[in-house]
Amino acid sequence: MNGIHDMGGMHGFGKVQVDDDTVFGADWQRRAFALVETLAWAVPYSTDQHRYAIECLEPVNYLKHDYFENWIEATETLLIEAGLVDRSELEAGVKRFDINCENHAPVGPQTLVAATRAGAEMIFPADTSTAAFHVGQRVRVLNTHRQGHTRVPGYVRGKCGLIIRNGGIFQFADSLAAGNGPDPQHCYTVEFTSTTLWGDDGSQGDTICLDLWEPYLEAI
Amino acid sequence: MAKKSHGPNKHGHDHGNDDGHDHAHDPLEEGAALRVRALEEIVVAKGLVDPDALDAIVEYYERETGPRNGAQVIARAWTDPDFKDWLLKDGTAAINSLGFSGYQGEHIRVIENTDTVHNVVVCTLCSCYPWPVLGLAPAWYKSPAYRSRVVREPRVVLQEFGLNLASSVKVRVWDSTAEVRYLVLPRRPPGSEGMDAPELANIITRNGMIGTASV
Repeated sequence: MNGIHDMGGMHGFGKVQVDDDTVFGADWQRRAFALVETLAWAVPYSTDQHRYAIECLEPVNYLKHDYFENWIEATETLLIEAGLVDRSELEAGVKRFDINCENHAPVGPQTLVAATRAGAEMIFPADTSTAAFHVGQRVRVLNTHRQGHTRVPGYVRGKCGLIIRNGGIFQFADSLAAGNGPDPQHCYTVEFTSTTLWGDDGSQGDTICLDLWEPYLEAI
Repeated sequence: MAKKSHGPNKHGHDHGNDDGHDHAHDPLEEGAALRVRALEEIVVAKGLVDPDALDAIVEYYERETGPRNGAQVIARAWTDPDFKDWLLKDGTAAINSLGFSGYQGEHIRVIENTDTVHNVVVCTLCSCYPWPVLGLAPAWYKSPAYRSRVVREPRVVLQEFGLNLASSVKVRVWDSTAEVRYLVLPRRPPGSEGMDAPELANIITRNGMIGTASV
């Protein structure tokens, strides 16, 4: 979606606060992070569904609110959509109805840490699909403007770049965020020259590389 | 202090908080803290969350991940050419062999700085970052200023970090848009020839492995 989260190239945000390397500045941010990680199991939701819920926040709030508050607000949305809490509970800060946890089991500490330490394979065997493009080929990013979650930043849409790597076959974020399963696709690293993306305001010789799934690209 | 307590999405907004008040007096933060506490109480009461899991996951990230992990990887690459080859060919496997793996680090690609190319990593769409080797992202990495600008004017942004690149050095910006997370292999600094791997690991910084510092 063409949302406020899609920041590549925007003006107006000032200098980078290079000395602010805070990870958690307050304990509530720790709790917020932990809630998002644990509720992903019980609700459940995928990382891509959570990202999309963040992208759908009110743009003004996205900018005004703290990063971890945005994470929490997105999780509240996902809890409400799953019927597990309602708005009145969140406003009052108290539980008003019980739920059947049979399909929403809480994750225990050992399971959560073990799974986090292990990670989740997101790649699929190389022989499960044929690549449409090859390394060294020039491609154009499709100029699409769908409402749903996508991982094509606006600043490369319609632009031409060079495939420098076929990274393999990966679960497809657009499909996962829409609740349609992994729909594995080849994912390529595409290199764009700075001047292709930014014209005279780019810098000669510099490049920008993005990992883009095959459905985002067309041959030229 | 006030600046530290401000979340990453608030940079550029001056709340006039530099008078010694801590974050609890910022109404936005107070609201966020209450909101998180309310949600925690509700989901624990409903049985959706085991409170022990909340503590365990924070402890895991704070104790077991962080840039010291990445620094060990880089130091090893600087001192072991075979490991370096492996790291550049299959970053995930080489990093796993040192005991670092997990969520947001399932697929790691290591990109090497050279005399002619300097690499810098961003996630313009959210805040993708290689958690097992660098820990959770610092505020500046998640900020709108960094995300919006480093793809368009990387040299100006790098100057703000104190890194002035010669015009003969090409900048390659890596926008983490899919499932691969990127780690920069900085150039080993001159004068470090006599250092062993643990000594080298001490001079490698988080910013060096993101690309906003030379080492």
